[in-house]
Amino acid sequence: MSEKILEMKNIIKDFPGVRALDKVNFTLEKGEILALVGENGAGKSTLMKVLSGVWPYPSYEGDIYLRDQLVRFANTREAEEAGIGIIHQELNLLPDLSVAENIYLDRQPLGKFGGIKWRELYQQAEKVLARLNMDINPRMQLGDLTVGKQQMVEIAKALSLNTKILVFDEPTSALTESEIKELFIVINELRASGVSIIYISHKMEEIEEIADSVVVLRDGATIGDKIKISEVTLDEIIARMVGRDINDLFPKQEFKRGAKTLEVKNITVPDPFNPDKNLVDDVSFTAYKGEILGISGLMGAGRTELVNAIFGVYGKKRTGEIFLNGNQLAINSPADAIESGIALVTEDRKELGLLLDKNLIMNMTLPSLKKFSSSFTIDKNAEKETSENYVKQLNIKTPSLDVFVEKLSGGNQQKVVIGKWLITNSDVLILDEPTRGIDVGAKVEVYRLMNQLVEEGVTVIMISSELPEIMGMSDRIIVMSEGEKTAELTRQEADQETIMKYATGNKGVE
Amino acid sequence: MKKFIKNNGTFIALIFLIIILSFLSSSFLSSRNLTNLVRQITINGIIAVGMTMVILLAGIDLSVGSIVGLAAVSVTLLMQAGFGMWLAILITLVGVGGVLGFFNGFMSSKFDIHPFIITLGVMTIARGLSLVLTQGVSVPVTNTTFADIGSGYIAKLPSLIVLLVALILGIIAVFKTSVEYKNGEKVRNKARLTGGIILSIAGFLAGVFIFIGYQGIPIPVAIFAVIVMAGVYTLRKTRFGRKLYAIGGNEKVAWLSGINILRSKTMVFVITGILSAASGILLASRLNGASPNLGDGFELDAIASVIIGGTSFMGGVGTITGTVIGAIIIGVINNGMSLLGINTFYQMIVKGFIIILAVMIDVLNRRESA
Ligand SMILES: Nc1ncnc2c1ncn2[C@@H]1O[C@H](COP(=O)(O)OP(=O)(O)OP(=O)(O)O)[C@@H](O)[C@H]1O
Ligand SMILES: [Mg+2]
Repeated sequence: MSEKILEMKNIIKDFPGVRALDKVNFTLEKGEILALVGENGAGKSTLMKVLSGVWPYPSYEGDIYLRDQLVRFANTREAEEAGIGIIHQELNLLPDLSVAENIYLDRQPLGKFGGIKWRELYQQAEKVLARLNMDINPRMQLGDLTVGKQQMVEIAKALSLNTKILVFDEPTSALTESEIKELFIVINELRASGVSIIYISHKMEEIEEIADSVVVLRDGATIGDKIKISEVTLDEIIARMVGRDINDLFPKQEFKRGAKTLEVKNITVPDPFNPDKNLVDDVSFTAYKGEILGISGLMGAGRTELVNAIFGVYGKKRTGEIFLNGNQLAINSPADAIESGIALVTEDRKELGLLLDKNLIMNMTLPSLKKFSSSFTIDKNAEKETSENYVKQLNIKTPSLDVFVEKLSGGNQQKVVIGKWLITNSDVLILDEPTRGIDVGAKVEVYRLMNQLVEEGVTVIMISSELPEIMGMSDRIIVMSEGEKTAELTRQEADQETIMKYATGNKGVE
Repeated sequence: MKKFIKNNGTFIALIFLIIILSFLSSSFLSSRNLTNLVRQITINGIIAVGMTMVILLAGIDLSVGSIVGLAAVSVTLLMQAGFGMWLAILITLVGVGGVLGFFNGFMSSKFDIHPFIITLGVMTIARGLSLVLTQGVSVPVTNTTFADIGSGYIAKLPSLIVLLVALILGIIAVFKTSVEYKNGEKVRNKARLTGGIILSIAGFLAGVFIFIGYQGIPIPVAIFAVIVMAGVYTLRKTRFGRKLYAIGGNEKVAWLSGINILRSKTMVFVITGILSAASGILLASRLNGASPNLGDGFELDAIASVIIGGTSFMGGVGTITGTVIGAIIIGVINNGMSLLGINTFYQMIVKGFIIILAVMIDVLNRRESA
C-alpha cells in the first residue's frame, strides 16, 4: 500500500569537535506522519537541516533519495523546489511585513515593470490560507498575529510551494492548547491530501496522538528501526531515547513546609498600551521553604509578567510590596533582585537568557561574576571549575566549554540558562517554562534538581503551560487569568478540570 | 595555517606594509623616523583605546577630536592663568575629559538616545568652547617644563632597562597564556609558546633598534604603553571588562543578569573622554601651544584604528591589541605616504578605502562563521 517517498542513507555530518550525525538511515512514506525523537543534541534538527538544504551537499556525507532519485541540494531554495518544506524550531518570518508578503517572499507576482501585483498577491495568499481553513487576513501585519497563527502562516508558505514533505521541528513549544488542537487538525488534513510529515517533539503525548510511526535518534545514530506507533508503548520509546528505563516522569518528593520566604502583596503592572488594563492586576501570594509553588494559566494570562515584576523588570512602574524572609525589599531592577537573592530563569532563552555568540563559561557566570572575583579581577580558573561542575551536573552536551552557546542544541542551551541561575545560589529560584524544549530524560533531571533545591531550602517557583508538569511537581498552584489570580489550589485539589476552569476566567478567590 | 592567517590578518598586513615601505623609502627604517612615527601614533592610539570600549558597546563617540582640542586649549590657558602644570593637567583631565565623557554616556544611556547624536552635539559644543576661549587664535604655552612631557625622552640606559623588563614580563605572559585545557588536562600549546617567544624577542630587538638607536623612549610612548596595558588588563581580566562584552553581546540579557547598564556605559564614555583629554594635553605639550582647531577629524582615525583592529561595529567583539595594530597601520600609512611625498589629500582617499576594506573583511568573516 505504501509508497516510499524519501530515503536518507548513511548520513554523516561533522561539526568541529562533534559528529552530529553518524550514518543515519531512514525512510518516509507517502502520507505518513513520522515522529523523530531523541535527547537534546541527538541530531534531530541537524538531520532535518541536511534534508532541507540548510547544510548543502558537500558539507555532509551520504545520499538522499526523493522517489528513488538521488538529490543533492546546494541551498534551501533547491530543497523547496523539490517539495521539501521545514517549519524551524525558531520561526523564520518577518514580523513587519504582511501575511501575504511573508507567504510569497521573493516570489510575489510581478507586473511588467517589476512592481508587485498586490491584488493578485492577496488573492493567492487567501487561497492557500483557505486550504488550512484559517481565518487570517492576508493584509494583516504578521507581527500582530499570535504565535500560533504565525506558525499557520509558515505552514501556508510551505503549502504555497507545493510541498510534498513537511518537517515540523518542535512546533508546539510556544502554542496554546487550542492552537495545538488546530495544528493537529491541519496536520491530519495535510496527510489526507498526500503530504508526508516529519514531526519532531519532546512531548510524548503529542507523538502518541499524531504520529503513525517513530524513529529514535541517540548520539547521532538511529536506535533500532522505524516502528509503528501502535506497536510500542511510550515507555519503550523513552527507553530507546535515553538508553535506560525511566519509571517516574514526575519524581515528586514532598517535604515539610517550612517558614514563609517570598511574600508579595498587591503586585500590579499597568499595560503600557492600554490605560484601562493591567498586565498584572493586584496579585498577592506567599511562598514557603520546602515547597514548589506552581503558576498555571493560559498563554497571555500574565504569569511571565508577574514574575518579571517581582524580578524588577518593570522598575518603578510596578506597584505592590515584596518581602523576603519578613524583610521588605526595594526591587527596581534585575540587579536589585539578584542582590536580594532572587533568580529568574527567563522564558525566551535566545532573546533574554543567553549571549549567543559568547562561550559557555561567560554565559554561566554572568549573574554571579562577583563570586568569581577578588576586588576587580576575575578568577578564570574558578570560573572554569564551576562551569565544568554544572555542565556535568546538568549533563550538558558540548564539545568544550569554549564553544559559543549558539552552536548547542536547543535543549542544551536551556540547560545552560538553568545552570547560569543555579550558580547564583539564590534563596528564591523562579523558573519560567523551565523544561521547554528539553528532552524527557533531561526533564526528569530538572525535576530531581528542583527536589534537591527544595530540600536544601531554596524556594522554587515554577511557571508552566503543561498541566501534567504543574500538577506533577507543585505543592501548591496559583492559577492566573487575564492578569489576575483566580485561584490558589493545593496539590490535592488540583486536577486538570479545576485548573482549566480557573484558567479560563472563573474566579475562585475573593 | 588558513586559520592562523585569518586570525592574524591585520598583523600580517602590517608586516607586509613595513617591508614594502622599507624598500620604497630608504629613510623609513631609520631609528629617527621610527621614533617619530611611534610618537605620532600615540596621540591617536590613546584615543583609540577608549574608542575600542565604546564600540564594544555598539556605541560611537564622535566628540573625541573636539575634546582633544578643548583639552589642549584648557591646559594651556590654565597655565597662562598661573596654575601649576600638574594642577592644570588634573583639572583638564577631569573637568574637560571626565565631564564631557560623563555627559556623553549618561545622556545617551539614561534617555536611550543613540550616542551618535549626543556625541555629535558634544563635538560641536566642545569645538565652539575652544573657539570662544581662544577667540579663535592659537595660544602659546608659557610653562617651560610642560614641553618635556610631549617631546622628552627617557634616557637610554633606563630605556634599555624598561625594554628588558618588558621582555621578561612578555615571556612570562606567553608562558601563562600558552596553557590550554583539554579534557581537564593541562597541555601546552607549543606553537603558541614558540610564536609568543619569537614575537617578544622580535619586539624587544625592534624597541632597542628604534629607541636606543635614537634618543631613548619618548615619554608619550611610555604613557601610551601604560594605558594600553591597563586597557588590555581591564578588558581581559576585570569584571568591568567582562560586563562590556556582555552588554555589547546582548544588552537585554546583560541587564537581566544584573548588570547596571547605565553605570557601565557612562563609565566607558568617561574613560574615553579622559583619554582624549590626555591625548590633547600631550599634543599641546608637543606643539608648545594650542590652536582651537586642534584634533579636528581625530575621531575618524580613532574609529578606523578600532575597526581595522577587528572590533565589530555590532558590539561585543574586539580587543585592544587589535586596536593598537590598527593604530600602527594608520600611523605607518600616514608616515609612509608623507615620506613618499604623497599629498595629504590623497592620503585621505587611501585611508578611506582601507577602512572600507577592513569592514568588508569583518562582514565576510562573520558570514562565513555563521
Ligand atoms: N552550527 C553548529 N555548529 C557546531 N555544532 C553544532 C551546530 N549545530 C548543531 N551542532 C551540534 O550537533 C549536535 C546535534 O544538534 P541538533 O541541534 O541537531 O540536536 P537536536 O537533536 O535538534 O536537539 P534539541 O532537541 O535540543 O533541539 C549537538 O551536539 C550540537 O551541539
Ligand atoms: Mg533541535
